[in-house]
Amino acid sequence: MHPILMLGALLGSLTPAFPVMAGPALSAREVLPSRELAVASFCIVPTGPEYYAFDLFATRNIPGTGLAIGRAEVAVSGASPFSIALGPDGSYVYDIHISLERMKPPGQGRLVAWVTTPEIDRIVRMGALDENLRSSGTVGWNKFIVVITLEREDDPTAATWSGPVVFRGMSRSGMMHTMVGHGALQQENCAAYGYGN
Amino acid sequence: MLERGTQKRLSEDSTVKQLIRGVGALGMLVLVTPTDAVAQHEMHGMTMSGGWRMVPMDMSMPMLPGLENAVPVVGPFLPGRGMDPAMFPEARPSEHVPMADGDTLDIAVSMVRRTIDGHEMIMFGYNEQYPGPLIQAPKDATIVVRVTNEIQLPTTIHWHGVRLNNRYDGVPGVTQEAIERGDSFTYEVHVPDAGMYWYHPHVREDVQQDLGLFGNLLVTSPDPDYYGPAHREEVFVLDDMLMDDQGALPWGDSAPTHALMGRFGNVMMVNGETDYRLSADKGEVVRFYLTNVANSRTFNVTFGSAEVKIVASDVSRFEREQWVGSVVIAPAERYVVDVRFDEPGEVVIANTIQAINHFRGEFYPHVDTLSIVSVGEDAAEPSVTAAFDTLREHTDVVEDIDLFRPYFGQTPDYELETTVRVRDLPPSIVLSMEADTLYVPPMEWNDAMPMMNWLSTAEQVTWILKDRRTGAANEAIDWRFEIGEVVKVRIFNTPDSFHPMNHPIHVHGQRFLVLSMDGVQSENLVWKDTAILPVGSTMDLLIEMSNPGEWMVHCHIAEHLHAGMMFSFTVEDGQP
Repeated sequence: MHPILMLGALLGSLTPAFPVMAGPALSAREVLPSRELAVASFCIVPTGPEYYAFDLFATRNIPGTGLAIGRAEVAVSGASPFSIALGPDGSYVYDIHISLERMKPPGQGRLVAWVTTPEIDRIVRMGALDENLRSSGTVGWNKFIVVITLEREDDPTAATWSGPVVFRGMSRSGMMHTMVGHGALQQENCAAYGYGN
Repeated sequence: MLERGTQKRLSEDSTVKQLIRGVGALGMLVLVTPTDAVAQHEMHGMTMSGGWRMVPMDMSMPMLPGLENAVPVVGPFLPGRGMDPAMFPEARPSEHVPMADGDTLDIAVSMVRRTIDGHEMIMFGYNEQYPGPLIQAPKDATIVVRVTNEIQLPTTIHWHGVRLNNRYDGVPGVTQEAIERGDSFTYEVHVPDAGMYWYHPHVREDVQQDLGLFGNLLVTSPDPDYYGPAHREEVFVLDDMLMDDQGALPWGDSAPTHALMGRFGNVMMVNGETDYRLSADKGEVVRFYLTNVANSRTFNVTFGSAEVKIVASDVSRFEREQWVGSVVIAPAERYVVDVRFDEPGEVVIANTIQAINHFRGEFYPHVDTLSIVSVGEDAAEPSVTAAFDTLREHTDVVEDIDLFRPYFGQTPDYELETTVRVRDLPPSIVLSMEADTLYVPPMEWNDAMPMMNWLSTAEQVTWILKDRRTGAANEAIDWRFEIGEVVKVRIFNTPDSFHPMNHPIHVHGQRFLVLSMDGVQSENLVWKDTAILPVGSTMDLLIEMSNPGEWMVHCHIAEHLHAGMMFSFTVEDGQP
């Protein structure tokens, strides 16, 4: 096996969102789970600071998502007269663009994108993904989670989801590490120590 | 991540023993309890070696081990140290100085006595005022300002944002020699653009500006309808000062402290006062001219529930007026906003931010009151409600910018990248910074690492503007243009350096448009001279090279400027 494919297979086996599946041989582009590859291959929104973009990971709760990958891009709205946009409490306000790849739209139901706080105490419905598996909206929190669920129908008035979670991903700010209680290089969730805001 | 040069210096300058001690220190850090943390602050309020005082910080945050008694590698500086403040005249609030074309104003740069937050201190002043005189001149006038230096530091005056004759730009070593104590320099300031500008030294801004050397220059338009109707106008000069219970913390003598993040203050001021109050009638529309003169802090100015309409910025009005929820104003920027106070009661004008606690790894809301407006029951006369509710389009601005739209899509002529290089910082600082690199915020709204920031001086930190095509950095960059050229410059603020940070980029002597941020086109353009570049972002500027001479480009965080983040470019006038 080509060394790159071997590395890809190894990384893929360690990364739930990019499993190496049995079946036809995959190209390096399909196997390597690198961020650069993901961006180059399907980034639909060539805007926004690349640094604050983040991946969405499939839960594999529905068929056909085993190889699927997702991406969330954030950008300051061009309507802001400033280089950065803030909400009333000083939180960043971003335009957020969601895209999924390597899967087909579900045969039944609609994929709907939501944004929620890490505590999931506030939820905002972004909207249903279109036929190209894209959706856009606005987020006004400094730390947030993007959740994509499979809903029985597209209900714009829904306050929260009722279907299974298909993808989820946390904003880059979710990588902030506390040095209280455990070190920056440890893997436990900081929220386990009571620090997660 | 350290840059290669830094790693080399560390291996040369630091012993293995030091690094092991640093790693051990970090290990201790993660085990510390809040009680332990408070105990580590025993040096607070005490005079440390060489006359330093420990920087104020959250007592619940543990000290990085090994830094309990650390002081910056430079010496401390306080003006008039050891002298009786009573020897100096008490500074008075800024005075309004209307000037006509050809008028002359004498400005003395001198030591003054001021009381801030209950502490009497020796500071600097222009004509013994805080801020300096509010100079007002009509558009296209030329005023003469004779500056005499009476402080112990050499100084100059830079007329920020003004497209004036290069020889009066106030940059020592480029356009003039610094004015030594007892000497004078005469500036001829031609003001071709209406708007709010400001003036300040271009020598050790981190010290002189922080100590009170700044003032506004209001250039008025001959058009009486230039701005919409307002009942009155207020000048708000936003500033902060770093103080403890003894007064202002010393500055670095031979080089600035706080070179990583800039010197954030912990005492907020409007027009040099900590309790600046206004009153207004119900329904009164007040036009605020906001200027940020802080060394490093970007403010997010909120006006309670009052309606806020943004009208203008540095060098022009916006293409169209626009409702905003707050005003994000970086160091050296100016914004003009109209605010209507509809509800009787008190309106708090505040700096409203989400601060970061790196130690706890979280954001937290933080609000600092800047000013309080008491709104009365009586209705403001005459009513300007209808005019205020209308968002005006500034067709002359649009038509002016139309001339430049053919250049919007062109490939960038130059690409800059920002980064930082450090050397000889204490190992525990280096290690803790490296450990905390998984997330860097777009903006630093507060000093979340006061000890590490204070201990980093411009002798150890080099901030860099690098030309991506030539590799030239800072003063090695040599750009040359012909007058009339329109130049597109792309600037990327890399998030992968040792300590990424937002940068307010200032271009001297010219005006520019911020065409886009991260590929998103700006929908409401305005001519600027300073624009904030968040971490990780790419900003496209379109600069009109309209003014011949040798001009600076630099970060307007005072400590970053002194730590190297600047270069000059030349605009030839085409004359033989």
